[in-house]
Amino acid sequence: MEENRFEPKIVAFVCNWCTYTGADLAGTSRLKQLPNARLIRVPCTGRIDPIFLIKAFESGADGVLVSGCHPGDCHYNSGNFHARRRWMFFKELLEFVGIDEKRVHFSWVSASEGKKWVDVVNGVIETVRAEGPFQEYEKINKSNMIPIE
Amino acid sequence: MAQLVELAKELLESGKVSLIIGYTAKGDNATYPFIAYTAAEAEKLVFNHHCVNNLSVYINRLDIPEAGKIGIVVKGCDARALSMLIQESQIKRENVLIIGVNCNGVVKDVEMEWKKENVAPKCAVCEVRTPKLYDELIGTLEDFEKPDPTAMQIIAKIEAMTPKERWAFWQNEFDKCIKCYACRQVCPLCYCDRCIVDENTPQWIETSATARGNFSWNIIRALHQSGRCVGCGECSRVCPMGIPIGVLNMKMNMIGMSEFGFKPGMDINEPTLVGSYKFDDKENFIR
Amino acid sequence: MNEYIITNEQINQLASELLNKNWNVVAESSDGISFKSITQGEDIKLNPSSKPSNLSPKQFFFPKSETLFFYKKTQTDVEIIDTAGVGNKTIIFGVKPCDTALTGILSKVFNWDYKDEFFNKKVENTVLIGLKCGYNDDDCFCTSVGLSPESEKGSDIFLVPLEDGSFLAKAVTEKGSEFVKENSKFFAPATDAKSKPVEMKAAPQKKFDPARIKEWLDHNFENEYWKSLGDLCLGCAQCAYVCPTCHCFDIVDENFDYMSGRRVKNWDCCQYTMFTKHASGHNPRSHQSDRYRQRVFHKFKYYPDRFETILCTGCGRCIRGCGIGMNISEVLQQIDKF
Repeated sequence: MEENRFEPKIVAFVCNWCTYTGADLAGTSRLKQLPNARLIRVPCTGRIDPIFLIKAFESGADGVLVSGCHPGDCHYNSGNFHARRRWMFFKELLEFVGIDEKRVHFSWVSASEGKKWVDVVNGVIETVRAEGPFQEYEKINKSNMIPIE
Repeated sequence: MAQLVELAKELLESGKVSLIIGYTAKGDNATYPFIAYTAAEAEKLVFNHHCVNNLSVYINRLDIPEAGKIGIVVKGCDARALSMLIQESQIKRENVLIIGVNCNGVVKDVEMEWKKENVAPKCAVCEVRTPKLYDELIGTLEDFEKPDPTAMQIIAKIEAMTPKERWAFWQNEFDKCIKCYACRQVCPLCYCDRCIVDENTPQWIETSATARGNFSWNIIRALHQSGRCVGCGECSRVCPMGIPIGVLNMKMNMIGMSEFGFKPGMDINEPTLVGSYKFDDKENFIR
Repeated sequence: MNEYIITNEQINQLASELLNKNWNVVAESSDGISFKSITQGEDIKLNPSSKPSNLSPKQFFFPKSETLFFYKKTQTDVEIIDTAGVGNKTIIFGVKPCDTALTGILSKVFNWDYKDEFFNKKVENTVLIGLKCGYNDDDCFCTSVGLSPESEKGSDIFLVPLEDGSFLAKAVTEKGSEFVKENSKFFAPATDAKSKPVEMKAAPQKKFDPARIKEWLDHNFENEYWKSLGDLCLGCAQCAYVCPTCHCFDIVDENFDYMSGRRVKNWDCCQYTMFTKHASGHNPRSHQSDRYRQRVFHKFKYYPDRFETILCTGCGRCIRGCGIGMNISEVLQQIDKF
């Protein structure tokens, strides 16, 4: 590990049936990945309310990854289709209010794509690392808390 | 407008509707929402350039007695909101009698004088001067001088900024927010029994009107309006702090248009945008 | 004599000097929306005939969000960091009589049994520079609630515009006299040769009699009239939040991380459905008309009953700002006729 390197905090919302299982496969296959992502398992990408992503940023995340089943593979048939439309808007909205697109990532990773998961998560971590700490959001988080520091 | 009064009286007297939600005049210019229960009260109904309010917000309020069929006076933009409410199964088409009005533009705020500088910016891009949805249609279309589409100009200005500048711009705007929720209450499509900001187990959005809580509230509000906002502009109008919140909604609508070719409230039989999907929706942003 | 003359330039210089001394200097923003801290003395432009800002200066005594304390968990204990009394000396310029009155009205409820040190410290730390009002529109009704455009209630120093462009400054309170003494180079003692006060718009007509209203309210909690008022009100909090005297609040804890957070006092409003909703789901004020009635009752009956003061200054902000035209002045005029 390089010293003094910025270690971003990534929150990854992953669906139980595909991406979480895919990440599990990466583990059992002993594939190496960067340790910066915290995984949060949800039943389906359709369950991911965009407010989860906001909450992640409020809790100090530098970047967010959302990942689920490929279109057509959803355990509940259509959860990821609904999610996809929602993200379309959410992604554009975040960009419009000034959250760089490099901090919010979306992917499809199936249960058999352990390798893809490692590539995706490493890629996200490196992208966010290059962006640096999310100082703007940290500032509004801390605005409530000034005397504590 | 004699035509409106005649019609309203007939509808109320014949018992076709139990009440009519409309506008009444007050002072020199202003008009305000008004509910006529009797033919005598219907005499007070008016329609003119000052009828800014989107009355469809009242159709879903529990506080209006649900006694039979409701008559409602709508402009084209308000009719789109009604259409959305029907599409989202909030009201039944047969429970409302829609009195559509051919609209010749409205002012920015009810008390303003009717002249070009005061015309509401939404009228600049209006495509529904004749409502898409009505049972009775009254009034005649007349030409009026279109104002500048200021919201569009603000969007173009913001899009030209860097992410950091956009962030600074919106932080400055949201900082003003006092969380009075006037924007929510006045919106016909904000009809949830319990709004996400009122949820407190867990508290998703902080109730504090501080930078963090204000940011979360304002963008979640905009997100919940994506593909639904009909652009009536009431939220921006009632904001006591002058935050251009309608701009966020308009931006979301532009995406709905460019990515999905969808305009909310134009076709009552169309499925809602975020409530439906297509196999080949755009996904080039997903890895 | 407690009367002085101060010019516009001197006001700007005074503000600059106070800014250098780290005072929080507040004046109405140029967009007419709210009172704001300014960064340079020249930003103050007193205009007696301007429309009241959308938001009252209440926020400088009772902020929209106010931290009560911060907490920090340690290994064995919880550390509390008190915030009461934290804050700079503040001066607010150009406050109309309908706003200066708010400190007197609110201090009754904030000192009724529990002494609210947050409010009291802020009042203590603030010098209010009142300004005679030359504005009057259909929505103004200060004279009906016992105030007037030249009421000095609540002002520490009260300014009256003079014909030569300067202001006659009256030190109303001891704090005001102290302040003048400390900054005496900006205040010239008023001589008999001073110019005349500017002629301004007449005060609003007296529109209703609050004593009669209270008497009617005493006996008409249940009245058909209230039912008709709930139909149109949409139940937002615009009226309460812009009001100089509405003071309901909600206390919540917010965590910063797992080990620290704060307790915070936020504005709340009786017009919200959630305001009175019980955990059981029952809501004693279930209809908007019940909630609107509460607003009128609190302002014109409960508060006078308890503190002998009307909880209203007649500024008219709630009327001007209401998106659907709820008009408390008309409601009261109607009641006055019953």
